[in-house]
Amino acid sequence: MRLSDLLGAEILDEAGRSAGRVHDVRLVQDGPVVGGFGAALRLDGLLVGRRAVGARLGYDRGKMKGPLPVKLLAGWLFHDGRYVEWGRIRTIESDRILISGTVEDLPRPGPSS
Amino acid sequence: MAGRVLEAGLQLLDRQLVDRDGRLAGKVDDLELELPEGGGPPVVTAILAGPGALARRIGGRLGAGLEALASRLREGDDGRPARVSFAVVKRIGSAVELSVPRAELETNRLEAWTRDHLIAHLPGAGDAPE
Amino acid sequence: MKRLFAVALGILTAIGGFVDIGDIVANTETGARFGMSLAWVVVVGVVGICLFAEMAGRVATVSKRATFDLVRERLGARVALVNLVASLFITFLTLAAEIGGVALAIELATSVNYLLWVPIVAFCVWLVIWRVKFDLMENVFGLLGLALVVTAVALWRLDPDWGGLLHGATHPAVPQGEGHPSWWYFAIALLGAAMTPYEVFFFSSGAVEEGWSRADLVTNRLNVYIGFPLGGLLSLSLMAGATLFLEPRGIQPGHLSQVALPTALTLGKLGLAVLLVGFFAATFGAALETGLSCGYTIAQYFGFQWGKFVRPADAPRFHLVALVSIVLGAGLVLTTLDPITVTEYSIVLSAAALPLTYFPILVVANDPDYMGDKVNSRFSNALGSVYLLLLLVVAVATIPLMVLTKAGS
Repeated sequence: MRLSDLLGAEILDEAGRSAGRVHDVRLVQDGPVVGGFGAALRLDGLLVGRRAVGARLGYDRGKMKGPLPVKLLAGWLFHDGRYVEWGRIRTIESDRILISGTVEDLPRPGPSS
Repeated sequence: MAGRVLEAGLQLLDRQLVDRDGRLAGKVDDLELELPEGGGPPVVTAILAGPGALARRIGGRLGAGLEALASRLREGDDGRPARVSFAVVKRIGSAVELSVPRAELETNRLEAWTRDHLIAHLPGAGDAPE
Repeated sequence: MKRLFAVALGILTAIGGFVDIGDIVANTETGARFGMSLAWVVVVGVVGICLFAEMAGRVATVSKRATFDLVRERLGARVALVNLVASLFITFLTLAAEIGGVALAIELATSVNYLLWVPIVAFCVWLVIWRVKFDLMENVFGLLGLALVVTAVALWRLDPDWGGLLHGATHPAVPQGEGHPSWWYFAIALLGAAMTPYEVFFFSSGAVEEGWSRADLVTNRLNVYIGFPLGGLLSLSLMAGATLFLEPRGIQPGHLSQVALPTALTLGKLGLAVLLVGFFAATFGAALETGLSCGYTIAQYFGFQWGKFVRPADAPRFHLVALVSIVLGAGLVLTTLDPITVTEYSIVLSAAALPLTYFPILVVANDPDYMGDKVNSRFSNALGSVYLLLLLVVAVATIPLMVLTKAGS
């Protein structure tokens, strides 16, 4: 599997409602040790929301100081982000990922750093 | 035990790969994930780099064309894109630092081909600039 | 003392390197048609390039990453590809224009048709990129470019009505017989000539090439804040020369000889000779910069080794791209397409593409992970935001105005 298979896929719940598209994934470094790198990166979950340009530019980390108009715009574009833990994924198809439960009970992504 | 948390798209994808000697060795175009045998979430096993990997990210007809071109260039083995195992990743900072020289990487094939077939024929290719 | 010398060298190189064929064409054509009424655009352009060149240089110095490297990182592979194609096209067009400009300058000196010089010029441009050390290249052509100061000397010798010139500059108004769309179209061209995207690619890559460290940040600022405005004054003296000589006579400069007219008439053969050295240095230097920038942008997008600080054998694809760009650029000029026309299109399209280049720089310059404590000040951010908005307006207005005015005719 490649990361690009997951990015951009649409998240659909059991009722067929969409939670948006995957714009990024969260990795946690607690897998088995791999070579000189240390613990491998394990995929923890998917970050979903409107094509989150703001996140890509780095504005969701809270450290970015500005410029103000861009920061505000990025915040507006990113405001409906959700988090899909790996465990909730039922099937992965070519452009869609089906999850268990409903889109409403998807949590917000916590801060990653 | 909580390990370091990363967002792949933000902190890994499209980052510069830098080899052991500080030379540039491509970009992180995609990541290879493998599902562990005992079940559970997939683990990142390798970085994929080069036109074959980039083609998927670009997508659409352009990406498909690029992918066809890349398999002709045969960067990785068996028409797969060039692969950098995560075992040779030393550190993930603003760039992804590797613990091996780039000559040992599959991503170096196009560069080596260009050098051997084109650039090396020009006089002075091996000299430091004066 | 050595430090002072280095700073002075940097400033002088920045002044001499500021003007290229785009500025020569834009300022002279504008002066001939609109007098000094668009001088304010040069000021706006100079402030803009100072702001963004300093930012790009600071980002490259602190993060050790050049502009296009960061463009892809921040915008993602797909959006950055669009950016790459657009930026590369414009940089390539500018490269062709500069090669044409060098050939025209030599034609002016030798009366041998410029087309015959194109292959020789292209070869020399490639040879310098292939062999000559980066800072030597920069210094030589930067200092030689200072010969363009002769245009200011000619102006002073003329003892013109300074009050009249100043009045024209400070009271921008569309002259009689000209339309508003044309006026604004020329404004866009002037802005594009002053704020060329390749300048930023080159400047930030150059920071990495020359191994700038934090200690050089102050030097960087001095070079930019003193050198570029003085370079802008050279642009304005070209405009003033055209205002005084070409506008009253209704001459539309379509040929480099007409650009040289004010200096030649005022300072004679010696002045003309110095001016030609200046033309040559400015255009040849810019051809080097654009040729390298074609290599920088592609290499930095795809991630392969770039730069003149390594042996050519260690950056083969980078040198291949530069070589192919120069060959294709020369090819474009050899199709007998008028180099002046190519220049006109390159500067206008440059203006339209500016947001693509400047937006990522503005964003990264604010990122503490890259910049540490050297993030943008509130002032830089405020000014940067204003400029970004301006550049977006310009980008949107360019094509309609181009169609409306039939490319400024």
